Amino acid sequence: MGCVWTKGQSRREDPSVIADQTCFSVKDIEALYELFRKLSSSIIDDGFISKEEFQLGLFGNSKKQSLFADRIFDMFDFKHDGVIEFGEFIKSLSIFHPSTPQSEKIAFAFQLYDLRQTNYIGRDEVKEMVMAMLNESDLILSDETVQAIIDKTFEEADLKGDGKIDMEEWKEFATRNPTVLKNLTIPYLKDITTTFPSFVLRSEVEDEIYVFS
Amino acid sequence: MNQSELKVKQSETLNAFHIISLSEGFDLSPLFEEKKREEKEELRFATTKPASSVISKLEDLAKSVKFSVRKSESRVRLEGSERGRKGKLSIEAEIFAMTPSFLVVEVKKDGGDTLEYNQFCSKELRPALKDICWTSPAENPTPA
Repeated sequence: MGCVWTKGQSRREDPSVIADQTCFSVKDIEALYELFRKLSSSIIDDGFISKEEFQLGLFGNSKKQSLFADRIFDMFDFKHDGVIEFGEFIKSLSIFHPSTPQSEKIAFAFQLYDLRQTNYIGRDEVKEMVMAMLNESDLILSDETVQAIIDKTFEEADLKGDGKIDMEEWKEFATRNPTVLKNLTIPYLKDITTTFPSFVLRSEVEDEIYVFS
Repeated sequence: MNQSELKVKQSETLNAFHIISLSEGFDLSPLFEEKKREEKEELRFATTKPASSVISKLEDLAKSVKFSVRKSESRVRLEGSERGRKGKLSIEAEIFAMTPSFLVVEVKKDGGDTLEYNQFCSKELRPALKDICWTSPAENPTPA
């Protein structure tokens, strides 16, 4: 971004406070803190995850642009200050936990897909996302085919027939088609401390690392 | 599931939000994995062949390497009989219909050692699936 962050290292919120607001245990949060440290120091070690660091973590390439990664980043960055801090990271990841209620995932997905934040998901937004996905996978479908897919989707989801999907219609649609929320659950999150034994638990002394495998 | 139910399932297509949810950018699991995406064990390809062709290719492959097969309307699971470094190698293929004549198949490791999976993919899986993969017009002038 070119500007110097003067706020310094983000103050670490008390894990037990965060745990209460999320599906994570305190131990999970400690393990996720190590992941956060890894991501947030990958380009600049400033205690925040920048867009480039996020892209690096996700794609292995800090310069890779993706409509979807942009949306996720914006959703994680509650304060819209251009970086993801630890609290934002954990609270956002909590949505992806297998135990998080469907209603939260449904609400999150709606905001994610509401690209222009109008409280509606319109045809043009859906088309933009479908095209982005096809481009990303090097798949090509004819314009008629894409239109047909979108028409069919709106036929099912747009119950009021006003050409756009509002939150109420989305809730109905997602409840009937739970597989559209597949990307909002990361099974790994259930067993962080056991799935990722290489996330070390640090003691107070910086140099001493106790590795639990 | 009887024959007619199977047919209905196969002609159901994905809606736009299913397609969108398949996007890489929405998949946060690489953040948790130590390997880079290039080494990731997920294989995705498109095909204009019917689902039955994809399934029978996988069944033929399984037979040739003595893997067992379990299938449902849109999923095929292959499992090796020998225990490898991390148990039996198992692979799952999921078939998604973008349109009735354009499918996307996602293959991933379901169990077992990743190195063995990668070897299996390059030695057995990719060659077996090569002639049903549809590639974009630059490489192959067949339209979708």
